[in-house]
Amino acid sequence: MIEYEYLISPDDYLAAGVHIGTQIKTHDMMKFIYKVRQDGLYILDIRKLDERIRIAAKFLSRYEPSKILLVAARQYAFKPIQMFSKVIGTDYVIGRFIPGTLSNPALKEYKEPDLVFVNDPTIDKQAVNEATKIGIPVVALCDTNNSTSDIDLVIPTNNKGRKALALVYWLIAREVAKIKSLEFNYSVEEFEAEI
Amino acid sequence: MNCISCNTVLFGDNYVKFPCPICGEMIYRCKKCRKLANPYECKCGFVGP
Repeated sequence: MIEYEYLISPDDYLAAGVHIGTQIKTHDMMKFIYKVRQDGLYILDIRKLDERIRIAAKFLSRYEPSKILLVAARQYAFKPIQMFSKVIGTDYVIGRFIPGTLSNPALKEYKEPDLVFVNDPTIDKQAVNEATKIGIPVVALCDTNNSTSDIDLVIPTNNKGRKALALVYWLIAREVAKIKSLEFNYSVEEFEAEI
Repeated sequence: MNCISCNTVLFGDNYVKFPCPICGEMIYRCKKCRKLANPYECKCGFVGP
């Protein structure tokens, strides 16, 4: 039997806590859930996450980096997104997403991306709605409590933890850099937000 | 062109198109299927979202 080869050791995934979900599960995310723990926390399948990271990297590399927009309102995602943009060359919006950023050409902040990558579809709902309005695909990091409504590609992971976010963004950046033959010599710690 | 999930005919700006993450074949999804998170399957076997 051929063993599945992970991008990094499964222990590293577990140490970063990418598999830790929430106490809520949605029907959309059920296929990514591995089990429920005794304390009621739903646990995500790291193999599916690993597969999705490869797929997402392939998908992102099909677009011009400057035409990809990363959006995050969660504080722990600011640093990973800034680092990701530095490595790949994508555009990003951190903090408050000003309504009209994608749909109102009169705004100073107006952007015209070809793909939107959101950190949490619940928190970054405005970005998802505007991307849907202008007809561009949306990639999202989804936890067990998220709905995948208006999302075109789901990456099932813990999208709340500091280390989990750093690891996921680092892995995607590494894979995209590998596909695009870019230089990548960063460590996961460099992607981690400070406490 | 038709929606990959429900096969409805697409027109205007009521849809989203993107290349399949694996094979690159163009995928069309209608607004309704996106909103309901209906799964889509590419010819290469990839099932999303």
